[in-house]
Parts: sequence; structure tokens; C-alpha cells
Amino acid sequence: MTEAQLLVADAVKVGLLAVLAGILLRGRLRLCWVFPLYALAILAGNSLVTLWPARFYNASFWMLKQGVYDVLKMALALELAWRALGEFPGAWRTARVVLLALLGLSTAALFLLTPRSSYRTLWEWQPSVATAAVWLLTATALLVVWYQVPIHDFQRAIMLGLAPYLLVFVTLLDLLRRHGWKVRAEVGLADSLAYMGVVLFWTWAAWRRTPA
Amino acid sequence: MAEDPGVTAELILASAGCAALCYTLGRHNRALTLQRWHFVLNGPERQAIESLRQKMQLDSALARQALDAAGRAREANRVPDALTVLRVALSILEDAGADRLTRLRAMGVYSRMVRAIQPLPPPGAGPFRGPGLRAAASLAGFAHRFLVGTQERFRLWLLFLGLGVRIVLRGGRRLAHEASRQPHLGRPWDLFARGLSDFDALDASHLSAFEALAASLAAVDRGGRLRLWDRIAGDAR
Repeated sequence: MTEAQLLVADAVKVGLLAVLAGILLRGRLRLCWVFPLYALAILAGNSLVTLWPARFYNASFWMLKQGVYDVLKMALALELAWRALGEFPGAWRTARVVLLALLGLSTAALFLLTPRSSYRTLWEWQPSVATAAVWLLTATALLVVWYQVPIHDFQRAIMLGLAPYLLVFVTLLDLLRRHGWKVRAEVGLADSLAYMGVVLFWTWAAWRRTPA
Repeated sequence: MAEDPGVTAELILASAGCAALCYTLGRHNRALTLQRWHFVLNGPERQAIESLRQKMQLDSALARQALDAAGRAREANRVPDALTVLRVALSILEDAGADRLTRLRAMGVYSRMVRAIQPLPPPGAGPFRGPGLRAAASLAGFAHRFLVGTQERFRLWLLFLGLGVRIVLRGGRRLAHEASRQPHLGRPWDLFARGLSDFDALDASHLSAFEALAASLAAVDRGGRLRLWDRIAGDAR
């Protein structure tokens, strides 16, 4: 791990703590239960890797933490859809069909078209997972606008932060695929910087007072 | 030399999804949405229908009065006066048309917010006199048969009404221009009068659609409305 990567990782840690504090102090826990869990998982993964790199900065731990993040991202997208549309029976009926179709399609794509997951070929399977998460969020956003459902600004900020970050992540994995492991450090740093930007946006959203 | 692997499907899909999400959520206005839901859940339907009916009657009376005055001036050979009053009639029609188009857009939004819309009869050419409007009505009536859901059929009505208003306004502008070029020809004046009667027929359908929407909004029970309002405005969930 380079000095720059460590510095950015520490900044992300501070940012995530600020997000979690904002969620608790501004009473935003009830707006999305999975988001704090996701932030805690990122914080734990980040801390383990930076505090004990000899033990946790390796391929098998990366695979484990990425698996946890992926599950939490999917759960986050589904919870946001339920919170936004669950109160509206007509919209929720449509949402269930759309989300189920998206989950089915992405699962089929992962099982049938993507090679077996391993750290050495992470650019082959990880983009499919990230794209599925982007589309779950996008489907929710489209349904929210189509049915004119009022979602909370913090829920909107979660989606507006996560989707662009996932696009950056997919793009960086594509760079890794094109140039190989020799650009690993640069790609890792760019990924951390992009994530820091998202965390700063979430910190602002978590602490922002909702207009009356 | 290594082969260029090209852009992946995932990258294209993720970019499209991200762009759609940022565009839609970036434009989402919570305050405006809450305002709309407040209307849906607390809207005084009867009063709204009555005030719309009065507005339509007033618009129609003003436009007809202006057209009659223009006709009288033309018969008295006061052509410049006749053209000025005809333009007044056209501006009344344009203002009324803009108001109808705004309401049709709002009705399209509200129609997505209610669970069931009271069914409307299929559009038909019967009440209209202009050939363009009659053709549009017949086409809409034909398309109506292929739609199953009442919401889709309602939105087809809205689409037809919006198109109808545009057809009448475009015709009105063209006829006013024609009348100013050849003020002694009777045809543009007669066709303008026909356009006014088509606008009245469109207004009648507009009011029926508004009544159907209001009735559908009223069908949501009071307790359910209050609970839903508490949820969406108070973020109780």
C-alpha cells in the first residue's frame, strides 16, 4: 500500500465516521437501515486493511470484503425501493416485477456468462455485480419519478452518490482489464479518491438540515 | 500487438443506468411532489370541478363575444376594427389553450398517482367539425380499442385533448393571418367560428376527463388518505 493510498484511506475513515454520526444525530437511521450497516462494513474493511496490512491486505480478504459490500449494496438498493414505493400498492406491484426481473437477469448473467470469480480476474465478474446494483437503483429512481413518489433528500443523496461511484468503479476495472496489474496502484488510488468524494457528499447529506 | 478488448457491455449499461438515475433524481423536487400529493389526498373535488366549469364558460363567452363584435365590424365595413377584435378573440383562445395544456400535463401526472381511473368513453369524431380534429379523434378512438388499462386509456384521452387544442390554436392563427390578408373573404371568418365551436367541444371533454380524475381521487378512502399523508409527509416509515 502506498503512502497516498493510506492517506486517502484514513480520510475515508474519518468521513465515514462523520456520516454515521450525522445519521445518528439527525435521526436519519429510520430512513434506511442498511446504509449504516454498509458504512460500518466499509469502515471495518478499511480499518482492518490499513491497521493490520500484513494480515488483511491480501487477495482472499479483498474477495471476502467485496462479497460483503456487494450483498449490502443489493440490500441497500432493495430497501430504498421498498421505502420509497412500498406505501403505494399500484407502484409497488410494478416495482416488484421490475426489481425481480432485474435480479433474475443479473443472476442469470453472473451464472451463465461470467467466469468463476477469483481475485486474478476480478475485472471479469465484478463489473456485472456493480452494474446490477446501478440498475436496481436506477429502476427505483425511474419508478419514483414516474409515480411522483416523494422520497427523502437523504435517500436521494444515497442513490445519487452510490450510482456514480459504481460507474467509476466499473470504469477503473475496465482500465485494469486493459492494462493489467501494472496499473494496480494507480487504479486503487483513483478508486479511493472517488470513494472519498462520495463519502464527503454523504457527510454533507447526513448533516444537512432538511428544509421545513 | 495485443488486440484492443473494446468497451464492455457492463460499462455501457452502467453508464446508461447512472445517467438515467442522475437525470431523473437530479430533477426530482420533493416539495413539489408533496404539494401534488397534498392536492391528491385533500383536494376539494366538487369545488375544483365547478371553478373549472365556470372558467371554461367565461373563456368561451369572451371569445364568442369578441368574434361576434369582429363580425359586426366587418359587416359595417370597418375592416381594421374587425381585424383588431379578431386578434383579441385569438389571444383569448391562445390563453385558454395554454391553460388547458398546463392542466392536461398536470392531469397526466396525477393519473399516475391514483390506483384506478374512472373509465371514459372512447374518443369519437362526432362532436367536432374541423377535419384535422375529426381525424385525430377517429384515430384516438381506434387506438382506444387496443388499450386495456383504464389508466392508459385515460392518458390517451389526455394526449388527444392536448393534440386537439394545438390543432385548433394552429388553425386559429392561420385563419387570423388569412383574414388580415383578405378581409373581404368570408371563409376564414366562418372557419374561425368553427374552430371556436371545436374548442368548446374539446373543453367539454376536458371537463369530463377532469371529473373522472377527481372521482378517482375521491375513491381513496379518508382513513387511507390520512395514513398515507402521514407516511409520505412525515417520513414516519
